[in-house]
Formats: sequence, C-alpha cells, structure tokens
Amino acid sequence: MRSSIIIIAAVVAAGLSSSALAQDAYVVGITAALTGPPASTYAPAVDAMRIYLDRVNAKGGINGKKINLVIQDDSAEPSKAAANAKKLITQDNVMLLIDASLSSTYAPVVAEAKSDGVPLLFASSVCPKDVYPPAAEGEFCTTAFASTYDSRGALAFVKETAKEPVKIGFSAMAIPLSRGEMEFAAKQAPELGMTALGIEVIPPPTPDYTPFATKIKDAGANWVFSWAPWVTQVRTFEALRRLGWSGDYIAWAHLEAEGELKRIKDSRLYVIGANAMFDDNLPIQKEIAEAVKQAGSKYPPEQMTEGWIAGMVIEAALKGAGWPAAPAKIQASMQNLKVDLKGLRGGAIEWTKDNHFRTKQYYRVYRWDGSKVALVKNWFSYDVK
Amino acid sequence: MQLLVNIVVLAAIYALIACGYVLIYRVSRVLNLAHGELMMLGAYLLLATASSFAASPLLAVAAAVGLSLLVGILVYVVLIRRMTGEAVLAAVLTTVALGILLRGVMVLVWSAQQQYPGQALGIDNPALVLPGGARISVMAAMLVGATALTYGGLFWFLRFGRWGVRMRAVGQNPLLAAQRGINLHAIYALAWGLSTLTGSIAGMLIALDSGLTSSMPIVALKAFPAALVGGLDSLVGSLAGSFIIAATEVLSIQYIDPLLSDVVPFLVLIAMLMLRPWGLFGTREELDRV
Repeated sequence: MRSSIIIIAAVVAAGLSSSALAQDAYVVGITAALTGPPASTYAPAVDAMRIYLDRVNAKGGINGKKINLVIQDDSAEPSKAAANAKKLITQDNVMLLIDASLSSTYAPVVAEAKSDGVPLLFASSVCPKDVYPPAAEGEFCTTAFASTYDSRGALAFVKETAKEPVKIGFSAMAIPLSRGEMEFAAKQAPELGMTALGIEVIPPPTPDYTPFATKIKDAGANWVFSWAPWVTQVRTFEALRRLGWSGDYIAWAHLEAEGELKRIKDSRLYVIGANAMFDDNLPIQKEIAEAVKQAGSKYPPEQMTEGWIAGMVIEAALKGAGWPAAPAKIQASMQNLKVDLKGLRGGAIEWTKDNHFRTKQYYRVYRWDGSKVALVKNWFSYDVK
Repeated sequence: MQLLVNIVVLAAIYALIACGYVLIYRVSRVLNLAHGELMMLGAYLLLATASSFAASPLLAVAAAVGLSLLVGILVYVVLIRRMTGEAVLAAVLTTVALGILLRGVMVLVWSAQQQYPGQALGIDNPALVLPGGARISVMAAMLVGATALTYGGLFWFLRFGRWGVRMRAVGQNPLLAAQRGINLHAIYALAWGLSTLTGSIAGMLIALDSGLTSSMPIVALKAFPAALVGGLDSLVGSLAGSFIIAATEVLSIQYIDPLLSDVVPFLVLIAMLMLRPWGLFGTREELDRV
C-alpha cells in the first residue's frame, strides 16, 4: 500500500513538475503493465527500479544530478503504451524511455522512441530480436528472458533430462512474442529428436484453463514447455495436474517462480531462468532484501532481481553519459557499457555498438526437490552472435 | 466425457456471473458495467477475511459473503440511487466510472500480484474422478453446485418469496408497483445486493480454484454475451446463453483453434443480435430508437 501510494505520488508529482525538473535532472520515463492480466510479472520490477533509483538519489544522484523517474501505467494495452510513450517524450522530455510491458506494446513504443531519437530500454519485458547483433541503434534490453535463446536452453535441458522418447506440447499466451517463441520451439524440437505436438495459444485471461490442458493431455504429451507470462504458464500446469497428467513441465522462471515453486511443491515442474534465486543468499541479495524492507514494498525481495538489474544498468548508463545529458549522449553511453551483476546472473551485461543484449546468455534450471527450491542444472551459456 | 465436464464448468462460471447482470437489468433496466469489478472485489474480500479468520475458513467465507451483499446494497444507496430520475444511460455510465475506480483501488490495496485465497485459508483443491474417467477440481464442482443452488434459490425467491414477487412487480411496472406501496428503493437495493452477492460468489470460487489476479473483470466481460444471448431480463435465458457460449468456446478450443475461444462468444452474440435482438428468452421491448 505504502509503496503504491509512493508510486502514485511520484507519478502525480512528476506530471506536475517534470518540465521544470527536466533542466536539472536525468528524466527517465517508464510505460509499464502495472495493471492488467500480466501485471504480476512487471509491477514488482518497476517497484524495484524505483527503489534502486531512489537509493541512488538519496546518495546524491549521478554526476551530482537526481534521477526523475516518471511512471505511466499502460495496462499491457498497445494503445495506452503508445499514448504513454508520446506523453513521456513530448511533455516530460524523457532522456531514456523504458518499456516494462507486454510485447504487444513494443511496435508503437519503438516507433515513438525512434522518431524522437530517445533510447529505449526493455526492462523486465522480453528482449526482442532487435537488440541482438546487429542491434537496432536505439534499442537495449536488460531482461533475463529472450526469444529463441530461451527455447534453445529449455529444449536442451529437456533432451538431457528425459529418460524416454519426448512428446512435447507447448503453451503460449495469445501475444506476439509468446506465440512466436513457441512456434520456434515447435520447429526446434524435432531437430533434437523430440515429437512436437500442438501449440495451445491461450487468450488472456481465460476463466478456466482446463479445456486447453485437456487438449494437451489428449495429444499424449509427456513434456510441456511454456514460455508466456507466469499466469498462463502456471495455470496451464495446474489444470494439467488436475486432469491427472503426470508428465514433466518446464516454464520460464519469471519473478514469481521462486515463490510459486514453494507453493506448488511439484518436483516435476521445472523453471529455467537467467536470474539467481534468493536461496543463493548472495551479498547483493541481502542488500536487495534490506532495501525492499526499508522501502516498505508490498512485493517480496525475490521478485525484485529483474528491476534491480535494470536499475544498476540505468545508473551506469547515466553515469557514462555525464552532464548535461541528452538522449544521444545516453544512447552513446549505452552502446559502450559493461555492468557487473555481482552474481545475480551468470555473467555481466555488456553492450557494444552492435550488441544491445549481452555477449553470453546464461541459464539455470530449478525445481522443488521435496523440501526446498533446488538447483537442477547450474549456469550454462550460449554465445550471443 | 471430459469435454462435457469442461463445458459444464465454464457454463456454470458464466451463468453465475451472468445472473448478476440479469437481476439488475430485470428490475431497473440498468446495465451494470461494474459487475466484473464487484465480482473481483468479492474475491479480494475473501482474501482479506482469510487473513483475519485463517483458523476458520467457513467463518471467512461467510464474512466475505456478508460483506459482498453489503457492498452491493451500499453501491445502490450511495451511488445509483442518486441517478433516480435521470436517464438510464447516466446510471450505466456511473457503473463504468465505478468499475474504473474499484479496479484502481483494488490494485492499490492488494497489488497486481497473483493471490491465492485457498492457500490463505488452508483449503486444498484436489481433483475428483467422475464416472467415465473425467476429472473436476473440488472448487470447480462447488462452483457448479453453487450455480445450481443460486439459480434454484432465485427461481424460488422470485416465484414464491414476498420480496421476490415485489421485485418482479417493480421490474414489470415500477410506477404501478410504487402506487401499490412497494418501496422501490428497497427493491432496487436488494437487487444490487443480490447481484453483487452472486457475482462475488463466482469471484471467490474462481479465485479458490485457480488464484486471483487483477484481470478478473475481463472474465465477467466474457460472461456478458451469455446474458445477452439468453435475454438480458431472463434468468432461464442466462442459463441457456451460458451453456451455448461455453459449449461453442470449449468445442472451438478442442476442434478448431484455441484462439477462436476468445472470439466465438462475440460471434454468437452478433448472430443472435441479428436474428433475435432480445435474446432467446428475453422480452421483446418497444424500440426507442430507429
């Protein structure tokens, strides 16, 4: 409650005073799915960014200047995201725009950012192919999950783990990147010796996932791979279990994954992700937990990693841009950036002129082992080319 | 067999939600476009009472049900009553505004996170195996049961209950009913209370079955075609409409394309509006627009 009030107050205050502050602060704008079906994946990340940047401000800011964070809710709707992007760029004069929403919001937000020459960071929202080499000039991504690489990692794990011939079904949300990724995975699976069954594309939100799960079960799947917002992944899984399906299920480790593995307690539910879970007990995780507690956030610390990483990268990018800042200077800074993530991921985030994603994409796989969330497969990586 | 169970469960969800639309429309001709938000509020109230009465799930559910009834009555008394004498459209727009307000407040209070009232209450949701090998979760079975009880109760109440008969009278001719001494405001408040109560029960059971997110109002929007197809002023119609919409949705998932499930209810609705605009069991009303 307190953090939400702070966010709203920040939004209102920013709306009233951003023009005045623009001259004297780094203005960063966010369009985010703070409400709507997939909000549980994005809202904690935005809160983490806010907490991180508030801490930076409390320590004196960057290059002696504060960061003015302007947050707009788009409810995961493309039309609202477009309006937000326009408002943030033309009225708030943001120097850096962040999209923390569904992939269906990307096209209009990219168009707005591109036409005004403002660098665009995808943070907590899936990395689009445009950030892979050769990267689109003004687009960058810190998010753990990334199209095509995630499917390769997940399918490689399935192949390695399965003890019998794999008949794999797929579950996607009816949004462009989720569907595209599952189509990619369905094409990859046969190359790895698996039988690819159909893709269930599930509209958000649906009151009952059982009809979709019934179809997957009837197709004879012994594995299911889902790469979609958490709500689609977990509800499909739970519907399958209620139907008596006893196969293995692998899903993307979104922010909610750690808590959800503890809630569901099913040892055949695997999550593959690029962020370390809080059971690692790293010093930086303790720091995050402490900051979250102090800020009074309603979200648990284990859901903050994604936003925290984005905060670290934003801080480094603004620091590199110096003062006075301008979108072009920030973009130039982002094109030559390396941020040590202190163990939150398998490696650093490193951007060059051609690569706005990372040079290596690392993965880990976790599951519930009967008493705790356990590591099934430690960091493995793919070179990003 | 599983297909039939899937259809029945989805039909029960839609029917339980749709009867809320019907109750208010039948009595006052107001379309409550905040019904989805009120339904979600019921589910969140269960989450709130679950933390207060964690040791006694029944008490938590009873408290949430009571609060939902109260919320419905309060919405009428505080908000909708003030629309008396205004065009129906004004009341409908008020419900739109109420919905937006409620959605914002609920996200502020309970966050956008997925919540699990069942976990807070310590209620398990195992699957039951039915004859023929079909499976249904306990909460889905309770939802079907709750829908049957709700409709049975409403039919009895409207047919034999003193207040139910008054409610029908107000729906048919409010002026005449008022002249006969029926307290219109009390009837309208009761209709809002019952509508919110049934919607909230749907919200609570959906949340107990599969969790609670801030997108629940969209589920209520999907139940809206069911009410329209059956006839917006007919409870029998909303049952029939819910079954038709659920069947077309589940069958399109199974045999055509899962993506169609989102579109099919509205295709059925359009077809119905072209053929029989007042719905299967609805009352044909005089045109007030050409």
